Amino acid sequence: MFRYYFQLGIRSLRRNPMLTALMVVTLAVGVAASMATFTVLYTMSGDPIPGKSDRLFVPRLDNAPITGYAEGDEPSDQMTYIDANNLLASGQGVRRTAVYGITTAIESGRPDLPPFLVQGVAPTRDFFEMFEVPFLYGSAWSADDDTARKDVVVLSRETSEKVFGKINPVGKRIRMEDAEWQIVGVIDTWNPLPRYYRLINGNGGSFTGADQLFIPFQTAVRHEMGNSGNNNCNGAGPTEPGWQGWIKSECDWIQFWFEGKSAADQPRLKEFLGAYVTEQKKLGRYPRPVNVRMENVMEWMQHLGVVSADAKLSTWLAFGFLLVCLVNTVGLLLAKFSARAGEVGVRRALGATKSEIFHQYLIEAAVVGLVGGLLGLLLSFGGLWLISLQSDEMATLAKMDWAMLAMTLSLSLAASILAGLLPTWRACQVTPALQLKTQ
Amino acid sequence: MEIRPILSSLLRNKTGALLIAAQVALSLAIVANALYIIRDRLALTARPSGVAEESNLFRIGIAPLKDPETPEGELAMQQRNAEILRALPGVTSVAWTNQTPLSQSGWNMGIALKPSQEETTSNSAMYFGPDSIVKTFGLKLVEGRDFTNADIMEVDPDKTQTMGRTAIMSQALAKKLYPNQSIVGKTLYIGIGADAQPIEVVGVVERLQTPWANVGERGELSTILASRRVQGYSMFAVRTEPGQRDRVMKEAEAAVTKTPGQMVIENKTMDDDRFDIYRNDRAISWMLIAVTVLLLLVTASGIVGMATLWVNQRRKQIGVRRALGARQIDVLRYFITENFIITTGGVVAGLLLALALNQLLVSQLELTKLPIGYLAVGSLALWLIGVLAVYGPAWRASNISPAIATRSA
Repeated sequence: MFRYYFQLGIRSLRRNPMLTALMVVTLAVGVAASMATFTVLYTMSGDPIPGKSDRLFVPRLDNAPITGYAEGDEPSDQMTYIDANNLLASGQGVRRTAVYGITTAIESGRPDLPPFLVQGVAPTRDFFEMFEVPFLYGSAWSADDDTARKDVVVLSRETSEKVFGKINPVGKRIRMEDAEWQIVGVIDTWNPLPRYYRLINGNGGSFTGADQLFIPFQTAVRHEMGNSGNNNCNGAGPTEPGWQGWIKSECDWIQFWFEGKSAADQPRLKEFLGAYVTEQKKLGRYPRPVNVRMENVMEWMQHLGVVSADAKLSTWLAFGFLLVCLVNTVGLLLAKFSARAGEVGVRRALGATKSEIFHQYLIEAAVVGLVGGLLGLLLSFGGLWLISLQSDEMATLAKMDWAMLAMTLSLSLAASILAGLLPTWRACQVTPALQLKTQ
Repeated sequence: MEIRPILSSLLRNKTGALLIAAQVALSLAIVANALYIIRDRLALTARPSGVAEESNLFRIGIAPLKDPETPEGELAMQQRNAEILRALPGVTSVAWTNQTPLSQSGWNMGIALKPSQEETTSNSAMYFGPDSIVKTFGLKLVEGRDFTNADIMEVDPDKTQTMGRTAIMSQALAKKLYPNQSIVGKTLYIGIGADAQPIEVVGVVERLQTPWANVGERGELSTILASRRVQGYSMFAVRTEPGQRDRVMKEAEAAVTKTPGQMVIENKTMDDDRFDIYRNDRAISWMLIAVTVLLLLVTASGIVGMATLWVNQRRKQIGVRRALGARQIDVLRYFITENFIITTGGVVAGLLLALALNQLLVSQLELTKLPIGYLAVGSLALWLIGVLAVYGPAWRASNISPAIATRSA
């Protein structure tokens, strides 16, 4: 019977073409608006490293001066060079890394390629394994390179191709910061969304931009390369001038990450962090009461408000709009079905049960939803295209995947069936005798 | 007016009327809030920066390939580039600076009245420069004076923490620090405690937005310090004669790049900075405008659909009424009145819903309370749309011939 009712439903689309078209368009527009905005929200709040996001942790410490302290103050989002060094040496967690942003000029030595500016990060070697960075050629630098502060560099695929073309450049040298750097690896295209590993960055924000090179953390410090990103001194600047004063200061500018064996390591690492602060208090640091956090990837993104309030606002309003479209569809279906009371009367008189009628009309409503969903899918792509024109950030976010595609169709179907319930129920209430009499 | 018969017929057939009323209510709730947010965002983007004739201003960032290790080398590089820029035809004013309004990147420090305070009194964006930033930006001095050469302090960040001695502040900041007296001649402090640095205010400008153009008062809390920072990287704000900007920018880039050992990192007009900083506000405004228009269209189409159905269902009754002497205008009025009653019901429910939605947005998304005016505008719009939407079907109803009464169904 399902197939027959389905065919009837399709045939019925041609009846009252105006009314049907109105229904389909209403539903399609509502679904498209909701799905286009929801796609952006979904990408924004997505898990950038599924399977591992619950065991990568950001430690946060409150090293601000005691003045202005209030109960419930949040600890800093980044940390000092002193703490980053101590935590790197702590051996806690399976892996750990300290990251900061760098900007430098690459001199390729090629006459046709003038020196150009690149932005990247200075992490320790664990970075690549912790964040599952794919390598095209070579590998990460060694632990020795980290400690010996060697001039080694890992390039992004884009930078490598810009300087050397499509060859394996591992072992070659490039010139930066007035020194020769040896290339040890080239990473493949790697653009996690959001860029969770360094959300507080100076190039592109949470969703756009890509790091073009990677150099060892301690090497960058040796070259006195300043942080391109956020530097926060909690109202108390360095007490000595120059780079030495800067790295000895209580200014927060480094992003730190721990990797645990499992999610269960989170409370244990937090406990360690508390003990560490207590230890540092003996050295005259940390004037505030012990206030530490240990957040995993999703908690960290939540804390930084990666999902913008505007994205939420748009999505809510779009779903409100879908609700209006739904109410509208209920009205239009009611109009369409009630015009066919006579037909229902005849079927009932010929022996169809109420449930048969219910099935038939609900399937007819679902057919409207299916057509509306297909049209809605097209309109969603149009909507996403319009959204992507707004900014580079939106262009990376406004991309539909299979899950969203399936969701668009199901949403439309669900909406139409929901809208069809009341009109269908009304159609079932037709009394055959009364209808036949008026014929 | 025949309100009573309309009401009783409505009460007999509630479902359709309720659906229309619900639709009107939801639309009003969304439209009123959307209009308010649109207005709010557009007002945000329209705020003046304090910079005169923004389309004649651009900024150019110049970096050395390798830092000239000595302070003398760094200063010479600054000087050389300033001269290159000043020599270009069409340039009216050049100022070395660390940041420009709306550029989204810059310095922010705490300002205190006394170093012994527990917390600083206000935050302030910090503009530095040895040239007249007031003149290049085209700021309006409302009190005191601009910097003179004697005010300029040379600051080497490798040797000292000091940032400057002499300051010009925006009116918003001056009012925040000294609400009731003139700030000119007063000494204030950057930071608190032992490291607090005294600065003396010599002038006040009417307005100078921060690089971030924050929402509210914070967007205009700015300080300019008279100081020459000894560093390799330089940013210059350049003002050109009207219409010359784009040509000057190209020539500036070419002239700077011609000198070996340095490169242009940024070369951007203030117009582009303004365009970029308000990108998201514009995007959300367009999205809301689209939703509002679609919503009103959908609601109108719902009313048309429902009214058409009712007219069709009542063809015979209309014929009878006409045969009994009702004029066309009476039939027209019947349907319009009926729709008006339904819409009014929806509008009343919608007002409550709009306030509830606003409450939700206020609590979840840090929006402000909805002013009554937007409710009034939204209600009017929906009433108008209701009447316009029903007019077509009602007019067709009024054209039903009285003769239809004599025919059987």
